[in-house]
Amino acid sequence: MLKKMLIFSLLPFLLFPLSGCWDNRDINHRVMPISIGVAKMDEGYKVFLQIPEPSSESLGTRIVTGEGETINQIIDNISVNMESAVDLLHVKVIVVDKRLAEEGLNDLISGFIRSRDVSAKAVIAICDDNIDQFFESMENAEGGEGTILLDYFEKYSGWDPHVALSRVWEVYRSSHSYTRDVAIPMIKRGQTTFLEIVGSAVIKNGRLVEVISSDETLLYNAFNNKSTRGKIEILDDASVMILSNDTDYKAEFTDQTPHLQTTFNFSVMILETNGNPSAQDIKMNLEELLLDRYKALIVKLKTSEADILGIGQHFRKEIPRKDLKNWRSDYYPNLAFNPIIQVDIQNYGNLKHTTN
Amino acid sequence: MDRSVQVVMMYILTHLGLIFFLYPSNIIESTDQGHWIPISLGIVIHIIFVLVYLKGLSFFPRRNIIMIYSSFGKVYLILFLLPIFLYFISAVTITVRAYSEILTIIFLANTPLWAVMALLLFIPFFLAIQGVQAIFRTGILVSFLFLPFLVFILIVSFQNVDASYIYPLWNNDFSFMTKQSYINSFFAISGGFLFLGFIQPEISYKHKKIVIAFAAVVPAFILSVYIPLLTFGKATAETFLFPFVLALDTITLSWIMFDRATVFFLLSLITFIMLFISLVLWKASIIIHHSLPSIKPVYIVVSLTFVIYIACLLIPNWQQVQMLFKWNSVLRFYVLLTVPLSIYFLGHLSKKKVY
Repeated sequence: MLKKMLIFSLLPFLLFPLSGCWDNRDINHRVMPISIGVAKMDEGYKVFLQIPEPSSESLGTRIVTGEGETINQIIDNISVNMESAVDLLHVKVIVVDKRLAEEGLNDLISGFIRSRDVSAKAVIAICDDNIDQFFESMENAEGGEGTILLDYFEKYSGWDPHVALSRVWEVYRSSHSYTRDVAIPMIKRGQTTFLEIVGSAVIKNGRLVEVISSDETLLYNAFNNKSTRGKIEILDDASVMILSNDTDYKAEFTDQTPHLQTTFNFSVMILETNGNPSAQDIKMNLEELLLDRYKALIVKLKTSEADILGIGQHFRKEIPRKDLKNWRSDYYPNLAFNPIIQVDIQNYGNLKHTTN
Repeated sequence: MDRSVQVVMMYILTHLGLIFFLYPSNIIESTDQGHWIPISLGIVIHIIFVLVYLKGLSFFPRRNIIMIYSSFGKVYLILFLLPIFLYFISAVTITVRAYSEILTIIFLANTPLWAVMALLLFIPFFLAIQGVQAIFRTGILVSFLFLPFLVFILIVSFQNVDASYIYPLWNNDFSFMTKQSYINSFFAISGGFLFLGFIQPEISYKHKKIVIAFAAVVPAFILSVYIPLLTFGKATAETFLFPFVLALDTITLSWIMFDRATVFFLLSLITFIMLFISLVLWKASIIIHHSLPSIKPVYIVVSLTFVIYIACLLIPNWQQVQMLFKWNSVLRFYVLLTVPLSIYFLGHLSKKKVY
């Protein structure tokens, strides 16, 4: 009986270890930046933290910057100087300046992956602008609720199919994988909107090698079977909206040369017409337009030897692993690419379509 | 009372806990292509030895292996039970140390290691004192709480899978068998099933039902390796210490209120590992209790836990943990090979004597 009493009287003290509150910082003593910017200086880096600041009326934005040798050192310094601890757990967007991307993102990205401070799911973008001013303007942005960059890339809010959406882990994969590269969006300050898309940066082994336009980015997204729904294409005689797309691949490997036949099926809806073109004309024109763009894109990518479309993935079966290592330099430039575009006009909107 | 469900659950939980951490990186490191070959080899070995062990045990109804060995004399006790005991102690030490390091690497970066290890040992210690029935009942509770979540995570983990990474399929190079990383992968293969011989007569179960558990464990072996492999590709996946955890980090589900599902996955696996540790602690304690019946089991568990905790504190870094894995592999293979086979042959022997 006495023993039981003793045990029961000791039980409440278990509350302290069991709560698991160990050197825990309360949420009101942390600052959680939503996006961070990283710029390469002559020596070391400069880091921008965009921190949402709740105030009585609305959510404001505060930009904190720091310079130093390594990212962690800078974050640490900022942490020391701020009244609360910086916690990168909720960073959603990482903006790097173009110079850093040209010199290589590998160290930065593997640092993020190694420490797990920043989520591997964070979206990465390149700033083709003066990054100081870019972040400064974010602080002044009217009505920007501190999440402006995040909203821009979120699939359920501002994202569009002509924006490449690439995450930290994909960039990390591209710097190690034999057959896969990645495209990341390039942005700058806009004239009337806060952001303006420049196009996409082609990243090969973690380094920026080429820039493609946003029209070409659409093709990149379509190739990877991402939805291009909602994108509007302008032709000479009509404008159409893409409703859905899907892609079939047929890969062949003969005489050490990879052949890839890709069939893209786009379903479109007609929005506007100039005059009265026939459905056949619109179809033909659109197919031609997309086909030319694809061919140009492939030529561009082959010269830069960056396989953002992941074409090498389709030849993993045929090429032995030791040769696959040299996919980008030995096989990819010889690729025979045969795109077939099939456009189907799903509907004509609210008006009946009559051709004369 | 038939407690087959509890035993099957326990078997599944402890194996899941062991598989999803170090096994994927061990396998990915062991070979360049055709990872299904080393995986299936491991699975086949696992299944064969479990079946042999169960067959052997079925010759001795309602007896555990301590009773079996001691009925054949002192030599058997020393020859088999002593290595088993040493294996248990080293396995607990390694598990506690390795998993606390994993916890600090993955999400408790600021918590001191001794506190994590104390937690990882305290709960199993408490369970081990309560005895085997408490451990198994906890297993049922834990599986109700966490298994649905685990299944959900496993399904959504296919989100970023790219099937092309499965190629090349075949590999003519069988050198993985002698690689240390492949040998280390047997930590997950041979670590978990010995308890089947310890729990009788307290917990009786039908041997045939264990086969059901294979249906859950075999996919876990395959998925734990192939999900990271298909998400990242071999060249990227081999750079990770915990490829499966990283593969989970890539899951984007905007409709889930928690940003990182990984943490929940890890915590449920940590509870499984706690069960595993408590089970091993309990097994080690009954071995001692058999040789020194005068000491109360509680004191044995207390002193074992204390010794293990001290041993854990003495291991300073991850390098040393790797080293221990290497040393432990001798004991691991000795136990894996000799225990099921010896039980099997002793079973045959005793059968002949009877008739």
